[in-house]
Amino acid sequence: MSFPKNLTSVGKKILMGLTGLALIGFLCAHLAGNLLVFIGPGTFNEYSHKLTANPLIYVAELGLLAIFLGHLATGIALTLRNRAARPTPYHVKRSAGHTTRKSLASATMIVSGAIVLVFVPLHLWTFKFGKSYGAEGGVRDLYRLVMEVFSSPGYVLWYLVAMVFVGFHLWHGFSSAFQSLGAEHPRWDPLLRSFGWFLSVLIAGGFIAVPVVIFFAGGKL
Amino acid sequence: MAKMTLNLVVWRQADANAAGRMVEYVVRDASPDMSFLEMLDVLNEDLIKRGEEPIAFDSDCREGICGSCGVVIDGVPHGPEPGTTVCQLHLRHFRDGETVAVEPWRAASFPVQKDLVVDRSALDRIMAAGGYVSFNAGGAPDGNAVPISKSKADAAFDVAACIGCGACVAACKNASAALFTAAKISHLALLPQGAAEREQRVLRMVAQHDKEGFGACSNEGECQAVCPKEISIAAIARMHREVMHATVCSR
Ligand code: HEM
Ligand code: FES
Repeated sequence: MSFPKNLTSVGKKILMGLTGLALIGFLCAHLAGNLLVFIGPGTFNEYSHKLTANPLIYVAELGLLAIFLGHLATGIALTLRNRAARPTPYHVKRSAGHTTRKSLASATMIVSGAIVLVFVPLHLWTFKFGKSYGAEGGVRDLYRLVMEVFSSPGYVLWYLVAMVFVGFHLWHGFSSAFQSLGAEHPRWDPLLRSFGWFLSVLIAGGFIAVPVVIFFAGGKL
Repeated sequence: MAKMTLNLVVWRQADANAAGRMVEYVVRDASPDMSFLEMLDVLNEDLIKRGEEPIAFDSDCREGICGSCGVVIDGVPHGPEPGTTVCQLHLRHFRDGETVAVEPWRAASFPVQKDLVVDRSALDRIMAAGGYVSFNAGGAPDGNAVPISKSKADAAFDVAACIGCGACVAACKNASAALFTAAKISHLALLPQGAAEREQRVLRMVAQHDKEGFGACSNEGECQAVCPKEISIAAIARMHREVMHATVCSR
């Protein structure tokens, strides 16, 4: 397979940045949809129905899949190549501090990415391809399924852990993507990085809020 | 002036093909005013007197401008002081009796030649791929005949300060030479003299960077933290812009 190998190191990073930002965009839209669960079953089910009933959804899903797989393949290719570039490790190695941006998050991008990779198919299996309850007007009662799934402590815990890793991925990923796309300015950079941290907490926190609130409310809102 | 003792643990490797190992040495009566390399000189005098092989390391100017020197001290290239080469790093930044690990730059593209000496010719080949301007040098041009804005001249100077020591590669978890390559590309991209070869330069230098086996940039910025000239990873962002520009505009 020549892709993504035939891209230069810089080309791979530009692709990582583009696909990463697109995935963040998807996460924001997904989160906004999820939060409708707090408004009530009617709104939530209607939203999910309208979304999935639109034939354009297949085009969007295909695009999303391509972006996800592109990010995944490039991320793995980068990680393998990067490891091969230092075959002999240091006996003593530590961060230089000073102006470094290294963090636990930046050092574990492949780990947090791998967690997402495990999470996504399971997540689709549970919800997208999960039990289809009927609701009024021939609409799928996704609300009921969500309540049911998030009553299980095991599932809530796994979901929570996965979302913490998503937050970790974005903690470094958001501003890193801009740097990869060549957007770096001494005036805006500190603001951009702070916004990235804020956004990663917001996204992870938002996704976590849904199962946690439902669980402690006893499986109904 | 009080004397100090340092316990060194130094990478010793007889030649490029030999297996190396960390060896302990005690340096007594070192002065806090010595540079780290002067301290190694003193240790080497001692080793020679004892009939042992001295520790090989690179250095030349010893004033932080040539880029010859460089070792990893306790896990940080060029040691603990920001903006300082190891030849300008003084022992006053260490504690009396401290144990200090000393290792060569480690990267697949920087094979160890002996002890702390590595082969950095990969960086030279990146330069040869495009880090130059081609013109017919006639008579000396008039001063300021080519107008350059102060801010651009300053920005070009900041990256032109790169001495090619390779600390960026040594610090990077991916052993990427992105900061070095980006500094060289940015230097010429910012100046009108570099305009003629702008597109081919960046594509060729990046291709050579990859061919040498350096890793990619993960935007961690360890490189800018250890760079003795404190070159910012803003240069890497510029390199990425140059790549995008060249990819779209070159034919
Ligand atoms: C919702 C899913 C995901 C989002 C929103 C996301 C987002 C991002 C972003 C914004 C970056 C920074 C890009 C850059 O540095 O230019 C990034 C980097 C990275 N991602 Fe993801 N990612 C996701 C899933 C994954 C998955 C499934 C993997 C699996 C391997 C992965 C692996 C990586 C790696 C290894 C990097 C760092 C690459 C490097 O070191 O340069 N990501 N991600
Ligand atoms: S010996 Fe020249 S920079 Fe250190």
